[in-house]
Amino acid sequence: MIAQLGRRTVDAVKAVGRFGHFVSDMGRALPDVATWGGLTVVQMRRVGVDSLPVALFIAAFTGVVLALQASYTFTGTVPLYFVGTLVGKTMMLELGPVLAGLALAGRVGASMAAELGTMKVTEQVDALETLAYDPQSFLVVPRVLAGTLMFPVIVALAILTGIATGWLASLVLLDLSTQEFLKGLKLFYRFKDTWFGLFKSATFGCTITLVGCIVGLATRGGAEGVGRSTTRAVVYSAVLLLVLDAFWALVLLR
Amino acid sequence: MKRENEFAVGVVVIAAFAVVVAGALWLSGAHLGKTEAVYTARFRTVGGLGVGDPVVLRGVRVGRVEAIRLAPGNWVEADLKIYSGVTPPATPAVIAASASLFGEWAATLISRDPPPADPNVRQALTEAQAAGGGKWPGATLPDIGQLTAQASRIATDIAAVANRVQTAFDSEAVNELRRSIRDFGQIADRLARVTNEQADVIGSVGSNLRQGSDVLAKAATSLQGTLGRVDSATNQGQLATILNNSAATSANLRSASQDFHDLMESAHKNQESVVRVLVAADSVMSRIANRSGTLGLLVSDSTLYKETTLTMIQLRQLLSDIQANPRKYFTFSVF
Repeated sequence: MIAQLGRRTVDAVKAVGRFGHFVSDMGRALPDVATWGGLTVVQMRRVGVDSLPVALFIAAFTGVVLALQASYTFTGTVPLYFVGTLVGKTMMLELGPVLAGLALAGRVGASMAAELGTMKVTEQVDALETLAYDPQSFLVVPRVLAGTLMFPVIVALAILTGIATGWLASLVLLDLSTQEFLKGLKLFYRFKDTWFGLFKSATFGCTITLVGCIVGLATRGGAEGVGRSTTRAVVYSAVLLLVLDAFWALVLLR
Repeated sequence: MKRENEFAVGVVVIAAFAVVVAGALWLSGAHLGKTEAVYTARFRTVGGLGVGDPVVLRGVRVGRVEAIRLAPGNWVEADLKIYSGVTPPATPAVIAASASLFGEWAATLISRDPPPADPNVRQALTEAQAAGGGKWPGATLPDIGQLTAQASRIATDIAAVANRVQTAFDSEAVNELRRSIRDFGQIADRLARVTNEQADVIGSVGSNLRQGSDVLAKAATSLQGTLGRVDSATNQGQLATILNNSAATSANLRSASQDFHDLMESAHKNQESVVRVLVAADSVMSRIANRSGTLGLLVSDSTLYKETTLTMIQLRQLLSDIQANPRKYFTFSVF
């Protein structure tokens, strides 16, 4: 039992070491802009633009639900214009980044893990190295950069969508006027609400794409291994995303 | 790399950037392109006032709190950014206070002329003003939390008093109180009954008074009529005639009285004669009582009385016979 525990500990430390190596290699690839520059835009399209419908769809319904739940909670002494406050704050600080991150962890992280895992098990990565392409520059850096840059973009639009649908729900379903909703929305707004959510989403994007790349490039065992890597990438991404969410809240919101 | 990708990515990024910038500026109430003046206010404490909170002048938002920092002398300085076109009061002061029950705070610009009514605020402003430095004096009102804490302490005290009252009011006290209330209820019932009865009496008294009042009114009317008649009689001389008749009657009475007086004097004068008559009568009566004399004998002797009576009967018979047969005793002839 002690030996098993020791092995697991060693494996965990090795994983951290591999992660360090991976990040170090990625850092070394950063100056190779000629390689990853053009590819990054492609990945931005795939990671960002193509993920917009999913993120906006989730945000739209989240805004409606937030407005309704807020009105349900605020019956009694709390004025109803706090619906605007709750919708705005929650979308900007928490639900916008986290829900979009979770959705994209499934879509983007799984996609990357599967794509890179397939390349790995079919030895396309080895072929790139044989052709003197740095897999980090060619595969990882564009994806991680695209995720890091496009996640805030997606989250910003998702926040806007969530607040807009929350406002519409308040207007139509809660008999709340636009002025009251905007009053609540502006009531406790701080610029920190905006940059906190966007910064957090950037770290989410970086984490999700990084996990997808690491897990994908570590794939072993053919198609079955690709499946395992895909699942693992989604799970790891989701768990790390929530841990990171708590971490940033602890660090930045105290 | 396709240009399609670049365009799509560019559009999304620009849209997101615009959303973030415009949204942040709009939500924070920033006034772009307008010159804003920054003034510094000095407080002992700013309470819950924070950066970005509104600055309000007569209820209108005219700026925001730009920065808050600790300052020497146990002061706190807050930079207030005031929108262009807004003229602060001539002698400005800043009151940091809770703007609602839900934790919102605002810095309210007021004028120190006239000074605020609250003595604590006035003292705080005076103290901050005395520190000099050209900074606006500031004071902080207690926030809702402090007020609710105070209310909580008061509520605790009330609860303690209530507990003591509850202790004092044990079951026996409650029973006594219940009995007292029941007695009081009975007294009230009696009082109500008495009141009702007295109300009837008072009603009848009132009715009598009303009747009496009616009678008095009638009497007054009669008196008024009488007085009217008296007045008219006086006017027509009838009263004078009556008075004259009364005077004559009085004179006649006076004359009759004089005659009676004279008569009494005459009787007084004949008193001796009367005495003599009475003495004689007494003598006669004595003789009759002694059965002396004719009357005495007549009174005492029944035979004589009977004979006399018989004589009288015979005399009546004779008279009756004479009346019936006058020719038997009387004979009249002319020739």
